[in-house]
Amino acid sequence: MLRIKNVHKSFGKNEVLKGIDLSIDKGDVVVILGASGSGKTTLLRCINFLEKADQGKASFGEVDLDLHQAGKKEIQSVRKKLGFVFQNYNLFHNKTALENVTLGLTVGRKMPREMAEEIGRKALNKVGLSDRYDYYPQQLSGGQQQRVGIARAVALNPDIILFDEPTSALDPELIGEVLGVMKKIAREGTTMLVVTHEMSFAQDVANRVIFMDQGVIVEEGSPREIFSNPKEERTKQFLRRILPEYTYTI
Amino acid sequence: MEKYFDVAYIVTSIPLLLPYIEITFWITVIAAFWGTILGLLFAVAKLSPYQVLQKIAAAYTTALRCTPSIVLLFMSYYGIPLVLSIFNISLDAVDKSVFVLIAFSLQFSNNMCEAFRTAYEAVDPGQMEAAYTIGLTQLQAYWHIVFPQALVVALPNIENALISLIKEGALAYTIGLIDLTGKANLIIAGNYNSHALEVYLSLAFIYWMISLGVQKVFYRIAHIFSKGKRLLLS
Ligand SMILES: Nc1ncnc2c1ncn2[C@@H]1O[C@H](COP(=O)(O)OP(=O)(O)O)[C@@H](O)[C@H]1O
Ligand SMILES: [Mg+2]
Repeated sequence: MLRIKNVHKSFGKNEVLKGIDLSIDKGDVVVILGASGSGKTTLLRCINFLEKADQGKASFGEVDLDLHQAGKKEIQSVRKKLGFVFQNYNLFHNKTALENVTLGLTVGRKMPREMAEEIGRKALNKVGLSDRYDYYPQQLSGGQQQRVGIARAVALNPDIILFDEPTSALDPELIGEVLGVMKKIAREGTTMLVVTHEMSFAQDVANRVIFMDQGVIVEEGSPREIFSNPKEERTKQFLRRILPEYTYTI
Repeated sequence: MEKYFDVAYIVTSIPLLLPYIEITFWITVIAAFWGTILGLLFAVAKLSPYQVLQKIAAAYTTALRCTPSIVLLFMSYYGIPLVLSIFNISLDAVDKSVFVLIAFSLQFSNNMCEAFRTAYEAVDPGQMEAAYTIGLTQLQAYWHIVFPQALVVALPNIENALISLIKEGALAYTIGLIDLTGKANLIIAGNYNSHALEVYLSLAFIYWMISLGVQKVFYRIAHIFSKGKRLLLS
């Protein structure tokens, strides 16, 4: 469904991505792990052209394109196949929850308003916000805002949804509600590429885990392989740091 | 003997002054129009990634910010004809109001440039990126997301710029343009310079009314566009 090859990206002299290959099939839930600064966000941003890669190829379904040279039209068509959930939500502050969710339908896809609102309400119901249609982002808690962010992506029915640390900006007591929604849409068969530090999500929901460090993919495999039987020393170190109980499970 | 201060003069000069609101009105509207366009261009230049454009725009705004309005007005009135006379272009037939408009358009554009720039920068670029991810084009994202929010931020500054344009416009009488203030001075001259205070009080009263009107309009606009801002909702 999505295949990317040899993605390179530098900011000035700082080489952030050093040749990333990745492939995702329909229904996959792929989790990317890695320390802060290892290039996870940059990778997601390059995939939907929020950042222009220095080099790299991608194929979305039958469409092949160059991540460095793609034109406006190609970029636009790729973005229609991808959803994106941001670490800090990035909701539209001048729009209600429902308007946030429907804008991509009414403006981006020229769908009639009633139809868009029906889809929008369904998406908000799915993330448990059936009583918040007309609230503005600043009237919502962080957890609710992020659920609107997820509904905004879901409503467009994309082939894949990219999540960039969707719970990192949340107070601990609000993380659960967002993870719950993510698990729910994963179980419904949504294809997802998720950067997260929530190991429970990776262990319970992912069918593949990728460990990134310093701009390269160090190791990838099933959650069981990565968590119980990592091969690379760097992966072991990372897991030891992030899972205090890890030492006991070896 | 005549009273030194006579309230009657305040009342009688108001109807004499009122027709000249029209001149003040048009000076304000036309200067605001060109000033807005210029201000937008210079704001875009300041926000552009091109160093040359940024520097030109910065020089422009700094120079204007440091020039008193009356100096700018004189530079326009005496300077432009002088420069053009070098090229054998005579501006003798050109109305005074044109020089007033040039000076105040420049002045206004400087204020607008800053209002636009700060407003644009106040909207988190993350919202723009989010708009791209849901398939909006750059233009659609500006129109639906950035512009309405930037406008709310810019409104107080635009309002200040407009009120100051109306007030500074009073300086136009110094080159002989008969607007509200020009007319007030004519009335006073007609009184052999007596009862100036009363006439100026009527003049002040008219300016207050105009400013109040402007404030009301801006309050309405702010109300319409500030949806989603908690401060203004509660
Ligand atoms: N826009 C940018 N300009 C310059 N450097 C950047 C930019 N974005 C990210 N970086 C750098 O790229 C590296 C990887 O960042 P990022 O992809 O955000 O990592 P992660 O998401 O894994 O924490 C960091 O060193 C960061 O400082
Ligand atoms: Mg990151």
